[in-house]
Amino acid sequence: MKLKEINRTALQAWSPAQQHPIYLAAGTSAQQLDATFSTSASLEIFELDLADPTLAMKSCGSVSSPHRYHKLVWGPHGIEDQSLPSGVLIAGGENGDIILYDASKIIAGDSEVIIAQSEKHTGPVRALDVNSFQTNLVASGGNESEIYIWDLNSFSSPMTPGPKTQPLEDISCVAWNRQVQHILASASPSGKASVWDLRKNDLIIKVSDHSNRMHCSGLAWNPEVATQLVLASEDDRMPVIQMWDLRFATSPLKVLESHTRGVLAIAWSEADPELLLSCGKDNRILCWNPNTAEVLYELPTSTQWCFDIQWCPRNPAVLSAAAFDGHISIYSIMGGSNDHATTLQAEQLSSSFGNIDPFGTGKMLPPLQLPQTAPSQSTVTPLKKPPKWIRRPVGASFAFGGKLVTLDNIKPAAQQPQQTAAHVVHISQVVTETDFLDRSNRLQATLTAGNFLEYCQNKTEAAQSEFEKTVWSFLKVNFEEDARGKYLELLGYKKEELALKITSALEQNCKSDEADVVEKKSPVEEEAEAPATETSDLDEVPFEDEEPVVEETSNTEVTPAPSSDAIKLKVSQDIDGLITQALLIGDYEAAVNLCLHDNRMADSIILAIAGGPELLAKTQKKYFTKTQSKISKLISAVVMKDCLDILETCDLQNWKEALAAVMTYAKPEEFSSLCGLLGSRLEAAEDAALQAQACLCYICAGTVEQLVAYWAKAQDSSSPLALQELVEKVVVLQRAVLRAQGGVSDMGALLAEKMNQYASLLASQGSLQTAISYLPTNTQQVSVQQLRDRLSRALGQQQQQPGAAGTGTLPAAVPVQTYTQPQPPQVPAQPAAPPQYYQQVESTAPAFGLQSPVSASVPASTPFMYSQQYQRPQNGWNDPPTLNRAHKKKKIPENFTPPAPITAPIMAPLGDPQGPAGQTMQTLQSQQQGPDQPVGPATFSPIQQQPLGPPGRNPNMPQGNMEGAPGAPIGDLIKPLQSIPTEKITKKPIPEEHMVLKTTFEGLIQKCLAAASDPQTKRKLDDAHKRLEYLYDKLREQTLSPAIVGGLHNMARSIECRCYTDGLNIHTHIVSSSNFSETSAFMPVLKVVLTQANKLGV
Amino acid sequence: MSKLLKTVSVINTVDTSHEDMIHDAQMDYYGTRLATCSSDRSVKIFDVKNGGQILVADLRGHEGPVWQVAWAHPMYGNILASCSYDRKVIIWKEENGTWDKMYEYTGHDSSVNSVCWGPYDFGLFLACGSSDGAISVLTCSGDGHWDIKKINNAHTIGCNAVSWAPAVVPGSLIEQPTGQKPNYIKRFVSGGCDNLVKLWKEEDGQWKEDQKLEAHSDWVRDVGWAPSIGLPTSTIASCSRDGRVFIWTCDDPAGNTWTAKLLHKFNDAVWHVSWSITGKILAVSGGDNKVTLWKESVDGQWACISDVNKGQGAVTSITDSQQNEQ
Repeated sequence: MKLKEINRTALQAWSPAQQHPIYLAAGTSAQQLDATFSTSASLEIFELDLADPTLAMKSCGSVSSPHRYHKLVWGPHGIEDQSLPSGVLIAGGENGDIILYDASKIIAGDSEVIIAQSEKHTGPVRALDVNSFQTNLVASGGNESEIYIWDLNSFSSPMTPGPKTQPLEDISCVAWNRQVQHILASASPSGKASVWDLRKNDLIIKVSDHSNRMHCSGLAWNPEVATQLVLASEDDRMPVIQMWDLRFATSPLKVLESHTRGVLAIAWSEADPELLLSCGKDNRILCWNPNTAEVLYELPTSTQWCFDIQWCPRNPAVLSAAAFDGHISIYSIMGGSNDHATTLQAEQLSSSFGNIDPFGTGKMLPPLQLPQTAPSQSTVTPLKKPPKWIRRPVGASFAFGGKLVTLDNIKPAAQQPQQTAAHVVHISQVVTETDFLDRSNRLQATLTAGNFLEYCQNKTEAAQSEFEKTVWSFLKVNFEEDARGKYLELLGYKKEELALKITSALEQNCKSDEADVVEKKSPVEEEAEAPATETSDLDEVPFEDEEPVVEETSNTEVTPAPSSDAIKLKVSQDIDGLITQALLIGDYEAAVNLCLHDNRMADSIILAIAGGPELLAKTQKKYFTKTQSKISKLISAVVMKDCLDILETCDLQNWKEALAAVMTYAKPEEFSSLCGLLGSRLEAAEDAALQAQACLCYICAGTVEQLVAYWAKAQDSSSPLALQELVEKVVVLQRAVLRAQGGVSDMGALLAEKMNQYASLLASQGSLQTAISYLPTNTQQVSVQQLRDRLSRALGQQQQQPGAAGTGTLPAAVPVQTYTQPQPPQVPAQPAAPPQYYQQVESTAPAFGLQSPVSASVPASTPFMYSQQYQRPQNGWNDPPTLNRAHKKKKIPENFTPPAPITAPIMAPLGDPQGPAGQTMQTLQSQQQGPDQPVGPATFSPIQQQPLGPPGRNPNMPQGNMEGAPGAPIGDLIKPLQSIPTEKITKKPIPEEHMVLKTTFEGLIQKCLAAASDPQTKRKLDDAHKRLEYLYDKLREQTLSPAIVGGLHNMARSIECRCYTDGLNIHTHIVSSSNFSETSAFMPVLKVVLTQANKLGV
Repeated sequence: MSKLLKTVSVINTVDTSHEDMIHDAQMDYYGTRLATCSSDRSVKIFDVKNGGQILVADLRGHEGPVWQVAWAHPMYGNILASCSYDRKVIIWKEENGTWDKMYEYTGHDSSVNSVCWGPYDFGLFLACGSSDGAISVLTCSGDGHWDIKKINNAHTIGCNAVSWAPAVVPGSLIEQPTGQKPNYIKRFVSGGCDNLVKLWKEEDGQWKEDQKLEAHSDWVRDVGWAPSIGLPTSTIASCSRDGRVFIWTCDDPAGNTWTAKLLHKFNDAVWHVSWSITGKILAVSGGDNKVTLWKESVDGQWACISDVNKGQGAVTSITDSQQNEQ
């Protein structure tokens, strides 16, 4: 098809293959018939811009010339060294002159464009050719057998290829051999061709068929076969192209006969030696396979002769033909339709004239009538044979499982032509992550052999950083006996030493004065306190602010102000006397009260011991209530078996001490949740070093999901080795949990996602079997199911039924790790914000009551958010809630209670009638309400009593399963834990202007909940309800970009008017235009809600 | 386990018995079947499970060299598209163990050089690039009817390659919990003899040129839109007769700003690029008959990680990891 057109009758020369963009030079032809141009001549350069769909070619520069040209060639000389950036244009003139132009200067519009000029030839220079090996060598041919070899580097003195042929005749063509650089051929109208060897400086062979009818208008060497050339004849009596082989130079090898009149020009494609163009006086342009003499293609042409034809050296499908009708046309050999370009051309023309009244004549132009070209003309069939340049010889494509498929078209060796070509395909395994695979294999081996201790040991030893080492040491402990003890050691506490210290401290306490009791710190506590003071400015510990108040209050409390009931008993006597009297009558309680009142703490405790366990317990209680100070917290926690308080209030810098306390005192059933809680707090810390410690807590807790969540957040786990690192830890921890509890734990959504990544990475390295073993089985995640299907099919296995154990069908009673926090045996203090308190009670989703519109001043819980978040995915985020959500009054921990006189003992009396002398502070346990079982790497039977004793005593630590244990803490006990932090950590309020978002989304969820009938939808909505906290958090922090916030408001508005589809569209827009990490926590949830709302039609 | 893992090791060599040059070889979704096509006008399908090579089908129907084959996603059945110099696109389907023509598209005026199936999530549709300069998008309407949309004059002198954008819109890697289709805009990239890489997108059912990426100085031989790996970046590889391979990336969600990074300038024309399934490795096939594998390092530089020496390694060099799996 025709691509471009230039309205010139001119000789043409394409820019060399090295040149980009492609140019075409057009020089006024000496043969031109157009009389109006006869007196002047020009050389013009056009750019071939194929991105422009019109037929026009952009003129890039031109020079006028006193000479008209007989021949024009464009050589690459100077392009490589940039001396002539666009090469050199060589023109052969009428008067025997050869002119060298700097093409780049013409393009630049420079006036001095001629590099050199010579008038060596005596007649018109009709033949020019550039040597393709040494581009500085140019051959020229003129009249009287003149052939010169020009060196463009020293242009003044040309050589001759040998003595002139006799008789003297015009030279019409010269051509350098394409394979052998010192061979040159020339031809003349007489039909004779001569082949010159420049090394011998002589003619080596003459080629002629002796018919005397050949009139050579064209000469071309075979681009591939050094000994072959073609000659074209201009003679109408013999309009043929002869193909000669110099080895058999007696007669032509092939004669290409199809033109009916003389051939004016030929061009042999460099890109495909099976393509030879010819144009003739019969107005035809033909494309031949010269080897078979077959016409492959005929270009649709005008009714005029083409006198010159050229392949574009750079774009192999492009050719140009210059015709006497005044056009140079650019064609594609690949066929295609002309319609589009024609239409565009017409449009362009009419637009440049102006459609309405171009000449101001007052007459409208008639509508443009495009000639309706017949389909046969506009659609050009392509070459009969595919050109070489579109035959793709190579290819390598990736396939699933890290396979690479490569083509191999083996050509028969030249020496053994009888050997047939082989066409084979190789399938290769590509392994790019060798370290990763190596480690994966080691992990696999460990999993098979079960030698985790050794594995952890090795990992510890190989650890690159201290932190890594610690993490692996912690992991290792899971597989050892006496895990807690080992943990303690890792935290820097030897049980024996600790016991000693504390015993001595107690002795000191006994001996010390009453007043000292309050002030005295236990060694452990001192240790714990020391760093706290240094870092007390850390603002992530909001309770710090409350401390002084508490202390102050307690100080005033312990001042010996008269207490009403004591005063009523004995007013007039001194305390000592009264105590004596009380003791004398055996009234321990009164004596103890007196001692307490008088701040004789030691006396009171000793007396209380004598008075029996009940009194002791009461006394302890009162003691701790009175001594509200930092010091007392640890002691209180230890005595009350309530580590929660410490965990929640300790300075995070003291996390080690807090964790140690948990190790020592936590009840088995609460151990895991307490560790997890501390981890959550650490994770929420701003100090990155502290955040990192969170994962140690999660390891102790055995909460795989939390570990994954932390890791995914804190570490870049996208690189294979980082992912491997994570999986190693997770898998080992999973095994540890498994070992401890003997059951199969479910994989949470996040972990499933990570495992999916891991499996897909393994698959990409060819480890399909291993990959499939890591895929979670209990997930509905589409990507996991797809990968599973793909892997099993790739392995030739029967397709597995995916999702058989999907979350949707999970029974509600699936064991799930729950917080088993006993309610603190303290008076439930009135919450600071009663409305919030009630909202909590009413809320079906525990997470949710935390932020009520009025809770601006109410501390909210960041740690809680994490713990809740990570806890939930144990069964997948949309699982049925396994926690009992019965309405229950929440217990508020003591330390938050504004100090007030104790009005009643609040210890729950149930639980341990056999306890040793009632020394155990029994936790309040509610009745078991469901099959939910606490699980963890180190779970303990609640029947195991923890004697009060000296704090150093090592608690019994059996590794047991909680399953079915009577009185085991159950889900509803999580409530205190959930509610407590609300008070602890201040959350900023949601900005006023964004409250509408919360109200709207909440409202919608409530509406949906009311309308939803099936439990699954309800669960989804419940979950959505919870997960929207992320959004509110972001709103509080005001970290969302204005675009997203704006979008959310738009969504809210569309929800208001119940246009959920619009809402979804806005949603999509937000998601597609926002940063994933910014919105991923809540946008999917909103989508679920909107979709449900739409479905339910609320 | 010792470290004996080679980067590339031949695990199976299939003698296709094609009588002329092979132009393309593609594995199906599971990597268990191999389709090849050749200048001998045939398309062959082999079962290559477990290192075997059983000829399953020898598909005859094209009247010219067959340039490319493409497997559709298996959720639509076993479907293979092939395109040829004969200007035809044939869609083959296996029914009851027998492969047959499902559809034949003859709407191009010149050689059809490239076929590529769109993301399966959005239907069964195929893009075809032709030397007539046009690109066709064929969409199966489900009842065996195919809807045709043609972009005329997409690339002057011819379109050499087409490749679809992955289904996951970059930056919105969010689980669609209800199995809903996100608002996916169908997009693909094409490369042609006008030296251009062009991006196309469907708007209101019409195909529009979205972007024109200029960097190559010669025919763009192949383009490959990288699979999404969850990052908010779109990546396209393009290779050219000019020997250059460019990696185009776009970070903005609207897809308007593309930047080119030169992967390498080869000494020979580059014919083919192929992304690994996870989108991290690029295989580049050059005219010098060499295949190189490239990987982006952490600092964003592309490094050659391997030369694939075809025919070496033989079948015996099974890696340790595979032995493990046996």
